[in-house]
Amino acid sequence: MNMWPWTTSSQRTCFLFLLLSLMAPKSNAGKENLLADEAEVLQAVILADSFNKRFRPLTTRKPRCLLPICNAPLLDWTFESLALAGVQEIFVICRSHPEQIKAKIAESRWSKTGSGIKIVPILTAKETFSPGDAMRDIYTRGLVTGDFVLVMGDLVSNIRIDEVVKVHKERRKTNKDAIMTMVVKESGANHRTRSKADYAVFGLDSETFECLHYEPVMGYPPSTVASIPREILSAHPDIEIRNDFIDCAIDICSVEVPSLFQDNFDYLDIRRDFVHGVLTSDLLMKNIYCYVAKEGYAARVQDTKSYESISKDILSRWTFPLVPDNNHPAGHLYEHRRGNKYIDKDGTVILARTSTVGNKCLIGSSTKVSDNAQIISSVVGQNCFIGEGAIIDNSYIFDGTTVGPGCVIERSIIGFDVNIKENTRIDKGSLVGDDVIIGPNAHLEAFGRLSKKRGIDAVDDEDEEDEDDYADSEEEEVEAAQGTTTVNLGSESNAILWPQSAPDEDENDENVENAKNQRFMRLGDNASDLAFSDAGSESSDEESESSDDDSDFDKRLELPTSSSTSLDVPDGSSTDAIAESEFRNEVRLSLERAFTEGHSVDNAAVELKTLRMASNVPLSRVREAVVSAIVERIQIIDGGGVPQRQEIAHVVSRWGPLINKIGGVDPVETIAALQTHCASSKRLLLFGQILAALYQDDVVEESDIRKWHRSLASQSLGLSPGVRTDNMRKCWEIGSRMIQQFDEQDDSEDESQEDGGDAGNSKDGNEQDEDEDEDEDEDENSSSEDIENSSGED
Amino acid sequence: MASDPQSAANQRIVEDLVSRLRRRQLVGSRATALETLLVLRQVVSKARFSNIDQLVNIIRSVGRRLVDAQPKEHSVGNTVRKVLHHIREEYHTANEQPAVESSFSIAKFVLQGQPRKQATIPSSETRVPLKENDPDDPDSFARVLKPVLMEAIQDVFDELETVYDNISKNAKDHIHSDEIILTLGMSKTVDFFLKAAAHYRNYTVIVAETAPFYGGREMAKSLSSAGISTFLVPDSSIYALMSRVNKVILGAHAILANGGMFATSGSLLAATAARSYSTPVVVCAGQFKLTPLWNLYHEYGALDFGDPSAVLGFDEGDLVDKVDVVNPYYDYVRPELLDVFITNYGDHPPSSIYRLLKETYDDEDNEL
Repeated sequence: MNMWPWTTSSQRTCFLFLLLSLMAPKSNAGKENLLADEAEVLQAVILADSFNKRFRPLTTRKPRCLLPICNAPLLDWTFESLALAGVQEIFVICRSHPEQIKAKIAESRWSKTGSGIKIVPILTAKETFSPGDAMRDIYTRGLVTGDFVLVMGDLVSNIRIDEVVKVHKERRKTNKDAIMTMVVKESGANHRTRSKADYAVFGLDSETFECLHYEPVMGYPPSTVASIPREILSAHPDIEIRNDFIDCAIDICSVEVPSLFQDNFDYLDIRRDFVHGVLTSDLLMKNIYCYVAKEGYAARVQDTKSYESISKDILSRWTFPLVPDNNHPAGHLYEHRRGNKYIDKDGTVILARTSTVGNKCLIGSSTKVSDNAQIISSVVGQNCFIGEGAIIDNSYIFDGTTVGPGCVIERSIIGFDVNIKENTRIDKGSLVGDDVIIGPNAHLEAFGRLSKKRGIDAVDDEDEEDEDDYADSEEEEVEAAQGTTTVNLGSESNAILWPQSAPDEDENDENVENAKNQRFMRLGDNASDLAFSDAGSESSDEESESSDDDSDFDKRLELPTSSSTSLDVPDGSSTDAIAESEFRNEVRLSLERAFTEGHSVDNAAVELKTLRMASNVPLSRVREAVVSAIVERIQIIDGGGVPQRQEIAHVVSRWGPLINKIGGVDPVETIAALQTHCASSKRLLLFGQILAALYQDDVVEESDIRKWHRSLASQSLGLSPGVRTDNMRKCWEIGSRMIQQFDEQDDSEDESQEDGGDAGNSKDGNEQDEDEDEDEDEDENSSSEDIENSSGED
Repeated sequence: MASDPQSAANQRIVEDLVSRLRRRQLVGSRATALETLLVLRQVVSKARFSNIDQLVNIIRSVGRRLVDAQPKEHSVGNTVRKVLHHIREEYHTANEQPAVESSFSIAKFVLQGQPRKQATIPSSETRVPLKENDPDDPDSFARVLKPVLMEAIQDVFDELETVYDNISKNAKDHIHSDEIILTLGMSKTVDFFLKAAAHYRNYTVIVAETAPFYGGREMAKSLSSAGISTFLVPDSSIYALMSRVNKVILGAHAILANGGMFATSGSLLAATAARSYSTPVVVCAGQFKLTPLWNLYHEYGALDFGDPSAVLGFDEGDLVDKVDVVNPYYDYVRPELLDVFITNYGDHPPSSIYRLLKETYDDEDNEL
């Protein structure tokens, strides 16, 4: 304990004083360093890969997070969003084109001293194909040490994430199972920034904002039903079902989250798999909460459509203070003019006197706009040239592009250093990749996608060869497809046109990336032929032709678009019934095999367990199936008597133990199953004998029989009268007689039973205290055969 | 910044303030002025220089950095100019060259003999001769001058601290009993001013609620809690009520060189209404709001627009796409519409603001 054993205590005090006085100015100086002073470092993880190809061909040679939006790379917007929240350490998980991301980070202002933020690029394997894989990578690397902020690399936000973190931490203090808080923003169902292709219905607890239900919805195939599990409704009296949220993809995660991904290797998407999995799992017992942001703005550039709407949101200042004239992430200075026009401040922009720059425009430095050119609601990058009389309408033009005289560009995204020669027309929804030359006098049809032909200047590409094999292979594919399509791209063009819709054949409609769903993500495509957003416009021919293969979606109601949310709880019994009858059949077959081939009881039990897992049915069903199979195995011997009894004893002693080996012991249920089966089978008369045989083989105990006898179901109370009910009743009566015998037996121990023989000796076996499971699983639809209504033989 | 041989810590505090200004985490002219001053004090205390030009360059470059970060907070630039002015003044007195103080001072003239606070520098100090660019000991200049400079900065600091009291000390001369005063927005200066007058006078205040930021509500709450009889009215009724108003008292965001001002949006409406009823318009503002700038861009606005969400909710889905919302923070009020500025340097008509500017700042600093 004594740190300075050579000093006396008074000396030590002096020493301490000295130390303190030495430290004092230091802590004072620390004040300058406001950020570093905070007790806990707030970490953030950016998944800087989109894991999809919606921006192709713009993203063949550069990652999506480096695409500029309003002349600043998306990644910078994301950094700024996080810096606004006081995040101090950021891990950027990059997969494709990591060198570019690394270089970008290194040259950005964030890596300068004084930024107060430490940014660490993490290169993950090429095999990382989903956010889930990235999360597993985060886990294996052990990057995060505490609660962290998880965002995508395409986030534009001014939400005070630190507030959300505070709420999350507060909640964690009382509830350790609250592993994640998702930030959502109210927007109304028809907001331009809300994706029509990929959104979700949230079920929230109105008080605690716990997320109880998450149901992803796609634009295509359209689903009009959200099914809320009944348990949620019963457990939470006050539920909000919201269909008006923008999912900002900002998650405050606890350290457990990456490890959960590690444990569940099949989680791919954070929302569709992880959130859904956690919410529906009975085993994990974890909670996920939502934070409904009242103030602030947050959205993801997840497709070309949201690229457009977020650009517009930025230009109309929804992201304030993150606007071009105030806090431009790339550090450009823009002058804000009336009508939300932003012109670079350094005075290098040349606007011809007769040119028109409309409202909501952004023009980067050193750009020249020639006479009579019109720019309407567009973003023009730096060092661009807009020729005489060109019209740029709602388009996004990256740096260094030249637009020749007389060109018309409509609702398109034009990449870096593109040269569009004179009188070219580019229709809406087009994407033109970097370095493309089009024209002159070319016409690119709507939704055309162009990229530069490879090999024209292979010299340029040399340095990228190794990194871009992936992109190249894709481009090769595209080039291979060229032969058939001949489009007029102009005499000087170096471009290739991408085929209209991506390979379709093996596509699965369940996937978010299915071709039709992608149309909802496409810039300029209102997908009106697919849309169902207008009330009444139900389905189109395209839908109906494909509706055969997705039977889940055939129940099609109108999906509400506003707050008047009315979602039905669908009735899932029909599909269940099918699955169950299939299962029964399987069990019957497998038992038959076991019977005829003489399997051991253990082997048969294993087989049954596997079957049960595969078809996901409750244990009671298996028991019923097994009991009925065994009963059916017993042959009815005419005349009854001793041969019949022997037959029963034989079968039951051979197969009876199987009943308790299928994965749970519940003799009461066994008896109930037996009763139910016998009541609707020819072997009604054998009930008493079978029961006795089971009793003899210790499959059931006396107490179980009593318990069964007491239960309401066994007395067939509350069932509609009918033959079957009568039979049930008869079985019960047999049971009563048996119990009478037990009682008598109790009185006089040695009295033998006429039915059960000398079974009395085993009754004192340790009574298992089973949960009284009064599962009334009578199959109502089983047609009751008309059987002879003779009473059980005694 | 890069050219300055300064410590990283120095750079960090500048960057910190820059980012807070950029992100609008720090708003309000007085708050920004105070923060700027704190940064400048740090910078000066850490700076290494061997002549006055180096020092001025250091401060200027820091100032430029801050102003660029947020050109709309004018008090940042004003504070930097003010500090530069004081530093030069101190340098001249230390150098035994009496500062070129004009005998005629507008501040003195208006106040009629009331001594200007910073005008006289205590002459009792024993001076060490200043040696610039001493090759043997390059730090000697800084060593001698630094204490004086820190004192000068402290003066500016004190002035900022006491600005509200100094402005409101003449309040009772402007507000008379049973008057009806109209004000709008939440201005700390006006708040102090009215409360100071309430000690002597019994009067009524009408506060316009100043949508969409509703600073007026806050103001009304604050005034009524001080026992002043207060009415909160919607902005639309300003004109209707003007006939009954004796005086309009406004706060300012920045006082411009021509005597106009930037003030919270709605001020132009109130000033115009006041003009049509010939109601006097009084502006209360600290001297740090004096800005050597003109409003070049907009006739009515101050080129500072907030986000539309205060006007149109983001959840309005469909409307967001179809409606463009312009939500200016500040109005530009022309000098003709104003009658008097009450500052901590006395009361001035708009027409003599240019003169006050000339005395407060050095001409060479107008462009940082």
